[in-house]
Amino acid sequence: MPELVRRDFLKLVGVSAGSAAAAGCSDHVEKLIPYVVQPEEITPGNPVVYASTCTECPVACGLHVKTREGRPIKVEGNPDHPVNQGRLCARAQASIERTYSPDRFKSPMRRNAAGELEPISWDEALSVVSQAIQKAPAKTHVLGGNPGPLASRTIDGFVTAIGGGGRTVYEPFANEALRAATQQVHGVAGEPVFDLDGADLIIDFGSEVLDTGHSPVEHARQWSDARDIEKNPHGGAKLVYIGARLSVTASSSDEWLPAKPGSEGLLALALAKAALDAGASADAAVVAAVAGADISAAAAASDVPVETIQRLGAALAKAKKAVALPPGSAVASRRAVGANAAVLLLNRVVGSASVSVAATPGTARYADVLALVQAMQGGKVGVLLVHDANPVYSLPSASGFDEALASVGLVVSFATANDETSALAGLVLPAHAPMESWGDRTSRAGVRGLIQPTLSPIYDTRAVPDALNEIRRSLGGDAAQNLPSGSFRDTVEASLGADVRASLMRGFVVSEVAAVAGAPEAIAIDVAAPILTGDGDFTLLAYPSPFLGDGTGAALPLLQEIPDPVTSVAWDSWAEISMATAEALDLEMGDVVSVATSAGSLDVAVYPRGGIRDDVIAIPTGQGHTVGYFASKAGQGLPGTARGVNVLDLLPADGVDEAGGRAFLTETAKVSKTGRFRRLTLLQFNDNKRGRQLGEVLTLAALAETADAHAAPAEGAHGEGHGGGHGASHGTGALAHEIHQPYDPADDASNAQYERTFHLAGEASAKESPYRWGMTVDLDKCTGCSACISACYVENNIPRVGEEETRLVRQMAWIRIDRWAGNGEAVMHVGREFSYASNEKLGDSDVRNSPMFCQHCGAAPCEPVCPVIATYHNEEGLNGMIYNRCIGTRYCANNCPYKVRRYNYFDHQIGGRDSAANPAGGKWPAPMELGLNPDVTVRGQGVMEKCTMCVQRIQYARQEAKNDGDAVIADGAVQTACQQTCPSGAITFGNLRDDHSAVSKAADSKRGYHALHVLNTRPAVTYLAKVDRGKVEG
Amino acid sequence: MQPPPPPAPGESPINRDIMSVMDGVSPGYFMLLGACVLSVVAAGATWVYQVYEGLGIGGYTHPIFWGAYIVTFVFWVGIAHAGTLISAILYLFRAKWRNAINRSAEAMTVFAVLTAAQFLGIHVGRMWKSYFILPYPNQRGLWVNFRSPLEWDTFAISTYATISIVFFFIGLIPDLAILRDRSRGLKKLVYTALALGWQGTSTQWKSHTRSVLHLSGLATPLVLSVHSVVSWDFAMSIVPGWHATIFAPYFVAGAIFSGFAMVLTVMIPVRRIYGLEEYINDYHFENMTRFLLLTSWIVGYAYGIEYFIAWYSGVEAEQTAFWLRAFGPYWFSTWTMIICNVVIPQIFWFKKFRTHVPTIFVVSTFINIGMWFERYVIIITSLTREYDPAVWGTYTPTWAELTIFAGSFGFFGMLFLMFMKFFPVIAITEMKELAIHDRAHAAGGGH
Repeated sequence: MPELVRRDFLKLVGVSAGSAAAAGCSDHVEKLIPYVVQPEEITPGNPVVYASTCTECPVACGLHVKTREGRPIKVEGNPDHPVNQGRLCARAQASIERTYSPDRFKSPMRRNAAGELEPISWDEALSVVSQAIQKAPAKTHVLGGNPGPLASRTIDGFVTAIGGGGRTVYEPFANEALRAATQQVHGVAGEPVFDLDGADLIIDFGSEVLDTGHSPVEHARQWSDARDIEKNPHGGAKLVYIGARLSVTASSSDEWLPAKPGSEGLLALALAKAALDAGASADAAVVAAVAGADISAAAAASDVPVETIQRLGAALAKAKKAVALPPGSAVASRRAVGANAAVLLLNRVVGSASVSVAATPGTARYADVLALVQAMQGGKVGVLLVHDANPVYSLPSASGFDEALASVGLVVSFATANDETSALAGLVLPAHAPMESWGDRTSRAGVRGLIQPTLSPIYDTRAVPDALNEIRRSLGGDAAQNLPSGSFRDTVEASLGADVRASLMRGFVVSEVAAVAGAPEAIAIDVAAPILTGDGDFTLLAYPSPFLGDGTGAALPLLQEIPDPVTSVAWDSWAEISMATAEALDLEMGDVVSVATSAGSLDVAVYPRGGIRDDVIAIPTGQGHTVGYFASKAGQGLPGTARGVNVLDLLPADGVDEAGGRAFLTETAKVSKTGRFRRLTLLQFNDNKRGRQLGEVLTLAALAETADAHAAPAEGAHGEGHGGGHGASHGTGALAHEIHQPYDPADDASNAQYERTFHLAGEASAKESPYRWGMTVDLDKCTGCSACISACYVENNIPRVGEEETRLVRQMAWIRIDRWAGNGEAVMHVGREFSYASNEKLGDSDVRNSPMFCQHCGAAPCEPVCPVIATYHNEEGLNGMIYNRCIGTRYCANNCPYKVRRYNYFDHQIGGRDSAANPAGGKWPAPMELGLNPDVTVRGQGVMEKCTMCVQRIQYARQEAKNDGDAVIADGAVQTACQQTCPSGAITFGNLRDDHSAVSKAADSKRGYHALHVLNTRPAVTYLAKVDRGKVEG
Repeated sequence: MQPPPPPAPGESPINRDIMSVMDGVSPGYFMLLGACVLSVVAAGATWVYQVYEGLGIGGYTHPIFWGAYIVTFVFWVGIAHAGTLISAILYLFRAKWRNAINRSAEAMTVFAVLTAAQFLGIHVGRMWKSYFILPYPNQRGLWVNFRSPLEWDTFAISTYATISIVFFFIGLIPDLAILRDRSRGLKKLVYTALALGWQGTSTQWKSHTRSVLHLSGLATPLVLSVHSVVSWDFAMSIVPGWHATIFAPYFVAGAIFSGFAMVLTVMIPVRRIYGLEEYINDYHFENMTRFLLLTSWIVGYAYGIEYFIAWYSGVEAEQTAFWLRAFGPYWFSTWTMIICNVVIPQIFWFKKFRTHVPTIFVVSTFINIGMWFERYVIIITSLTREYDPAVWGTYTPTWAELTIFAGSFGFFGMLFLMFMKFFPVIAITEMKELAIHDRAHAAGGGH
């Protein structure tokens, strides 16, 4: 018998004690384990920030990825990046969820005999691919999106080395037509860059410049700067939107021309002609190309009056800097190249300073994909390697891609997470999530963003280039020749030359852009009306969803959860029709219709609205996934059930423009009532603000009047309410008195509120606090893009409640955006329970986006009614919430006039329970909890929560100030999450007690008003009224 | 079942008649009690499920944070008013007709308060922390917010419950002694303990009468205060449709209205089944229905004034809220309320109907329905149409809320049915007093 040595004995004792303890309690034991070897750069509790690049869309904005204890928890814009300058959109903010997606593959998978994917090892997986390729290397094809220039080079190297059949680049929204048009008009193969900086007239031909356009974050910033009313008292830039529906961009435009979709090219040419007629000058080649334009024919084709075209033409001729933006994918017809060329031509008429062109490497071409499908059908593809794309979803089903996959010997998916294409693949070689990867992206010529990993891979995944090189290595022979040494990381680092570290810290590399040779002497463009197939009554507008994009966003619960900025629908699809159409077809909100085109049909609930042409039915892209925890209804216990509809399936296979690019405006649709009803997951049922003090608008004239009054000495006009303490004068104009309520420290309701709550009068008082946190929101800049909502969710660990809860309007968002069509009037509408009286009018762009969140009222109605002081006023003017103290009477929420308090009806915490009542109740399926912000408590069942003005950031800044020996927190040291990301810079946060702080100055604006000020809640948030600049003057 | 003990020789027929209610248990009684118990069990199970799962199983939507639970809470608090009103105020006014109904009304008060109080726990999101609402000393220095109407509510309801239980019990003592004398076995033990050694001596009667008088004096302001405080849960807020100075008298009148209606709804079948026609007769019905008519007019006036003030205030949010109350998605609840509470009771202008028991039963039932809807209208419709039209919402109770709502009736019914079998439903001693008094009158005695 072996001797029992002491060490073994101790082990045995330990094991027995451990099992005894484990048997004694069934609760899951969690351990707090300190670092044994602490990484040098990590101090627990302090964030480490890495510069990287966003991969959610081709713009490739610069990121700062904030990590805590080795895990990314938040992304923010890289302030130094030339494109986004520190700002991000909702999609980028949500991109953190891609890393922690429950859909992610945990290891390579192979389809077994039963047709199910089963995990295998990398060695096995690589040998399966190698063997398949070895059989017929020439029949090996690579199909995929844009993986960045370096990875692209590796893939090309792979295809060449193995002697493969080729590589097809495929992106659903690839701007192929614009590239071809640039070749025609500028003689350069590349995508132009539009610069709105300092522009005074912007004409958007449906590019959706502020939401899904060429560079939305950058353009929103430039647009907002160009029309900043403080800098441009006469209004600054005016935006004209041309398109069939009142989109996000249209809502922020000064003039909306509801033109027929597809008529953009004709209209652009007519405008160019009108501008030339009005005295604009241009190159001979341009003048010659425009000469043939017929204004009245264009007016007839586009449904825009001749006078309007002439007025705009004159305005264009007068404008100091005008920019025209070419049509986006929604209106990309079979004649898209002509339309794009016409708009580029218009830019050359009005002065091309705002459009710069440079040769950029060619990307996707839809026609090539169609050719590949044919090859597949013909059995010419033995191995298909799919990366960075989900063609099964995003190609129209009429293209036959899904069926063609069956003829391919082996389909290999390099997807990070489960998607429709992986579901049909024979082998999955999972790639790292972008935040685990090395790589690069090109924003535009001369700006190359770098991607560096911010956490070690959480699963057994590999970078695509590394996997491909592995395959080459295992193939041996010629294929293995000239293999780069080291991993893809080395490739990236090698590409950065000497200053690797500096480049990575900066996050991007800027290089000189080669000057473009002179423009062509003769411009030949062919502009015509779109070719629509089918004999339906409605033009089908398949427009890109601002959040879901080409469908990649659908996998992220946050992007599903944020309501569409225009319709407020979340987690679902809808079809927009006009009120007149709804009446004609006897449809109400939520009635399900069948939409049929020549390529297919689908059933979808309608959303009748005033802001859409009568002859158009518009359905956003992105939904209709059948695979994915959140993208489909799998997370709701309905695996394989599609969420919403995929409008791309209504498009024909041959929707190709002149240059082989993909066309989306190709079909007319028949719409018929099915008799079924589907309650849409709406979050706002009413866009009539009934004239209440919520989304105010001032005309330029009224503003000028106020400004005059403002300038005059106004001491005598100061009311009793504003004592002598307030130095700055505030207006005496009638309007100023009506809406302007500046902050007055001598009359700060917060003091009294604080003292009443804590009975501290005479003691350490709120009056002595150096801070009174406050915020301003400039409605003149808010586009409703919802980046703030996205940032707030991520920063504050706000649960995503899912479709069923959203249907009950139980979303937990701390910030929402109220959208008002016009000022509204107090009509007493009587109608069906869920009927929605759209106040929108065709051609009227008066839409007010009013972000609504806790106003941190000085005289907060929520505070006195809480029986347990779970909500209280702190000495810095913040309205606090003590989650542990809350018993859930919900009285505070009833008494909040802004309705910004959110209640946890279920347990949404980590490990929240799934149950029949609350399917997918744990809204944080693993590994999503890894992305939680450790600085913010997760809230349990039965407690109230709301905006805290990112109090954790205030506390962090307070500590930093203390560490630096500063007496007070400097202005700008605290940026709330919403403010930080706002692309148009609409939000200012800071200390109202500091007269020099940015927020004090902003709050003193003549446009300032408090929401629902008649209730005398004395909010800490000042809204700055939107400015009505009027239509464009000729 | 043991046969009841034979009446003691020379026992008064009042004893016999009233206590016959307590004798024997019919299958019908068992079925009714069974139904009540079942609904209580169902509601209890639902509640446990709700505590486990979260309030999300209810029909709450943003921004309707208070739903059927609060509606039912206010409804039961209202029901709880009749008993004390009848016992205390009418006692002080020496309204003789109260004697026949005061015992059952007091019992209803106690049971209704107990039912209502449960809804506070059912309604809150973290009932396991609901003791936070009590101002108990603690090391963490946490205190409650005495500015909150909910805190006032806590005190108002608990005070009211205490006083009404004490009042009920004190009034019961002489009758408990009678029960003690005619029961045996375990029952006798319990009744002996409860009767507190009552012998009916003149000293005891003197103390008893005094305590009743003093308690009446204490309870009288409570009748007015409890529902006033409950109304302030709403009136102290800024919700359009809630924020109104008329709420306190409006709610008190409504409470009395509903309380009387509930007394009638419950007592009419009891009277019929147990043959108490002699004790609860046209005289009582006339007075009760006149009271209903009066309070119906008060609530009717309040409804009218609410609309008038909404219009007169010039506040668009108020006007819209009230317009939508009557003609918006919840029109049916508003019109149910008006028809049940204002229109139907007008039938009592006619003496014929004031004494026609089936009519009274039907009308009082309608009033109960109407009064539940009154609270539904006030609470729900106001919350659905507030200041920010972007977050106007809708609310529909779910199965969970309806089960618990039904269970509250089961709970109330269960307690009342058990009460009928353990205590005299009519105050025996008071009836005797009255009988002697009447006899004295008949004999030409007078006062």
